[in-house]
Amino acid sequence: MPPLIDESKCIRCGLCAEICPLGLFRFDKASGNPPEVAFPDECWHCNSCVLDCPKKAITLRVPLCQMLLHRDVRQLYDAGKE
Amino acid sequence: MLKITQFFETDVLVVGGGIAGLMAGIAARDQGADVIIAEKADTRRSGSGATGNDHFLCYIPEKHGDDPRLVLHEIADSMLGSNMDADIAMRFLNESFNVVKSWHEWGINMRLHDDWTFMGHAFPGRPRIFLKYDGHNQKAVLTREAKKRGARLLNHHPVLELIKDENGVAGALALDVSSPEPAFTLIRAKTVILATGSGNRLYPSTSTPGMLFNTGFCPGCTAAALALSWRIGARLVNMEIPFRHAGPRYFTRCGKATWIGMYRYPDGKPLGPFVTKATRELGDITGDVWNTSFTDLMCNGRGPAYMDCTQDAPEDLAFMREGMASEGLTSLIDYMDANSIDPGKHVVEFGQFEPFLIGRGVEIDINGQSTIPGLYAAGDVMGNFRADMGGAAVMGWISGKEVAAACANRSLISAERAESDAWLNERLAYYGSFYERKQGAGWKDANMALQQIMNDYAAVGPHRVRSGSLLSAGLEYLRQLREQAVAQLSTPCSHTLMRATEVLDLMDCGEAVIRAAMERKESRGLHQRADFTFTNPLLNNKFLEIWREDGAVRMNWRSKRQ
Repeated sequence: MPPLIDESKCIRCGLCAEICPLGLFRFDKASGNPPEVAFPDECWHCNSCVLDCPKKAITLRVPLCQMLLHRDVRQLYDAGKE
Repeated sequence: MLKITQFFETDVLVVGGGIAGLMAGIAARDQGADVIIAEKADTRRSGSGATGNDHFLCYIPEKHGDDPRLVLHEIADSMLGSNMDADIAMRFLNESFNVVKSWHEWGINMRLHDDWTFMGHAFPGRPRIFLKYDGHNQKAVLTREAKKRGARLLNHHPVLELIKDENGVAGALALDVSSPEPAFTLIRAKTVILATGSGNRLYPSTSTPGMLFNTGFCPGCTAAALALSWRIGARLVNMEIPFRHAGPRYFTRCGKATWIGMYRYPDGKPLGPFVTKATRELGDITGDVWNTSFTDLMCNGRGPAYMDCTQDAPEDLAFMREGMASEGLTSLIDYMDANSIDPGKHVVEFGQFEPFLIGRGVEIDINGQSTIPGLYAAGDVMGNFRADMGGAAVMGWISGKEVAAACANRSLISAERAESDAWLNERLAYYGSFYERKQGAGWKDANMALQQIMNDYAAVGPHRVRSGSLLSAGLEYLRQLREQAVAQLSTPCSHTLMRATEVLDLMDCGEAVIRAAMERKESRGLHQRADFTFTNPLLNNKFLEIWREDGAVRMNWRSKRQ
């Protein structure tokens, strides 16, 4: 789930792993690999990693069950008048 | 066996590096005290203020006039007012403007449009008490200010236990989670300030029952301060009076006052009487006043309730979008953009979120001190005063000043004595056992079991009841769960060990909630007793204290301080 790291943009700085309030990432600088999203279902979707990534390499995928419930206002109130 | 690998000593240990903790550290350093801030994540982006806020409760004489009681009166009528001792609130108000000015000086924009601007969470014709500000950089700025003053930041160090001697609090045991292999850290301190934030993950998510981390406030905040206080014998207060926030569904996120819109029934009729058109100055305060409206509408079939911004002036819509960034809702903005959800065209469903612990917890005096000498508390963990962002900043600041002064009369426990402390060594073995056990229950098992018990046996209104028999059953089931969890928890790394300790902290909070709810034999707010359906006027100005002493749980009703 949640943070998706674009490996081609990631510079392996590890900042996301340092600052994530929920400690989602594991990062081993010596490995040369990007941070691993080790605990994806603990994401709060706070956007800290997205905001702080110096290369804008991270996006969030919001789980389907957290869809934002919304309706087009015209459809809604017009339907109410019928 | 897991060992203590780091030893520190300090005048002031701050537990939690959120807004309250950083402000406490800054104030204590300004008074010359030596400060360590232990934070479970990283102070640059931790806690419920991680990415921002946009409303700051405060009293600014040039805007409100000479009498702070005018602001106090508004707080009492707000959703923050029920658990408030007025003497603490008055001190908060009198010191709040200085904190606001400091923040602005440090680079957090508190003066939108070059003036102190109060808007949102407001009634028509009444004074406004929430300063609108841009807090998107607040954690980075406060971290910088704390470091600049020489506060030592101990990131990735959740505190597991407090230690005390005959003079009161004496330090703490922390867990080093900076690498997958856990280790313990022992911090000897003359004084401790608890600032660990609100208590989430105690009740199941209302919007998404299967999701432990879809919470309005930060789900990494699990009321550690309350559990640490409980285990060391400090008094907690107002634990049985529940609180629920509200906001968009199913993407749970607090900040409803940042939305500039009307709450409406599906046919367009407004939910509340306060405004006919939402503006940035007032918003629609119905969601604060009729807090249960969203649930009521689902239960009576007239819902769902919608947040309707479609009639906003275009400049108010743009202002709202900026406000969402200030409030730290950028993930919500990104999501809406990606899914073509436009608040100018779409209404968004709102709902009540799960109960959580904020403004019920550690009982403090006017200086922020708990009932244990040398132990202070600030921010969302306070049990007898609540002002959210403003409360965290100002009460953190006050407690930091007070604690530094108190250090002069307190001594440091010796290393030999701290390290040979029987309670400490028992706790090392206790936490270490979860890591050393190779197979067993995961922390999520335990967390979900706790949520089930709280939801079924210590239910929170509206339309849900508590009773003597239900609460008593819940207390016994919680005892069974704790016993099984302690015997079975297995945590293969530092991260999962931290999560397990959070759940054990929440179990202590759950016990305090259930026991206090049994004692409150009346219905009040969201504490609805099926066996005592009335509100007892004799309890109108009473607070219920609960604490542990000599192995027993004690409770006391005291008068609210006017």
